[in-house]
Amino acid sequence: MVAAEIKALVLAGQRDAARDLFAELVVGQQRRAIRLAYQYLRDPHDADEAVQDAFVKVFTHITTYREDMPFEVWFTRILVNGCLDLRKARFRRLRWVLPIEASEATAAADVAGGGRSVEDTLVTQARLREIAAAVDQLPERQRSVFVLCHFGDQTTTQVSQILGLSEATVRVHLFRAVHRLRRLLER
Amino acid sequence: MTRNSHLSDHRLIEVCFDAVPTAAENLHFNTCDRCSARRSRLQRLLREVSDAASVEVDQLFPPQRLATHRARILHRIDQNSRPGRVIAFPTAHASDGRPLRTRPATRWIAGAAAAGLAVGMLAGHLVRDLPGGRTQRRPAIRTAAKPTHPPAFRAGLLSDEEFLGQIENALDGPDLAVLRPLDDLTPR
Repeated sequence: MVAAEIKALVLAGQRDAARDLFAELVVGQQRRAIRLAYQYLRDPHDADEAVQDAFVKVFTHITTYREDMPFEVWFTRILVNGCLDLRKARFRRLRWVLPIEASEATAAADVAGGGRSVEDTLVTQARLREIAAAVDQLPERQRSVFVLCHFGDQTTTQVSQILGLSEATVRVHLFRAVHRLRRLLER
Repeated sequence: MTRNSHLSDHRLIEVCFDAVPTAAENLHFNTCDRCSARRSRLQRLLREVSDAASVEVDQLFPPQRLATHRARILHRIDQNSRPGRVIAFPTAHASDGRPLRTRPATRWIAGAAAAGLAVGMLAGHLVRDLPGGRTQRRPAIRTAAKPTHPPAFRAGLLSDEEFLGQIENALDGPDLAVLRPLDDLTPR
């Protein structure tokens, strides 16, 4: 609804008003977008960049937005495509570079010291790593569907629109992803 | 539901995500401890995965960072909306009294190439036009080799002076055999 208003304002030449309304939309979508992008990219800087690019792209092309599609679906599609492009670019760039678990180390350092005991923190950290590794182990399609359904708060119908798959296929991928996670995590 | 009326795994996952359970399924959950436990276990697992992701993202993206992130997005949008800045042609260098500096190496290479071309063309013309040149000498040899016919054949066509001139030339030349017919005609 807000997106349609922004589009109308831009078409009417009221760019400043559209920009102010867009700032509100960013506040509403930012956290979900960051969460999704981080699940795709596993790097806070890349996630930051992908979300920024997606929002800028949305505002730049707001006049092409079709109101018959939910804004979340349109935005998520742009975001996911951006994440996949970024991941491909990163893969090409780092093909010959040895990986350094910097983000994981940073996360561990950040989480530590939240007022809990060292043992609790270590246990939580171990479980967090285990869960993240399990999600990372999912095949590409299953992971994508699971991330969008579970972290992106999208229905299977919306995910089918985002990924261009049939709803039945999305359900099968989701089913297999959950089965696999169960196997990996319920031991 | 399956033939033993328990929910299939597939349906259970759907219910845990976005599908609304039917009235019969709700009733089944209320009466079947096994399916109820399965659903609870799956929901717990999904919640744990979700919480883990949230904790990680919350730690990596505190409110301060999100605010900076938002500001950056809006800044980029503002930048995009501005018309492109036209940079003036740098005329200041020419007016400050210093001579314009071009790359000397390029200038020297171009000059040397032009000079080489001019010299080459001139030399080519000179070699061709000089009297001792190769192209001039060949026709000269060809014309010198031509008078191998006996002068007797041509004597009737020439004046007396020309005829005597040819004889003198022949006497100066190395080949005296061509004069043998003249010598035979001479009364002794």
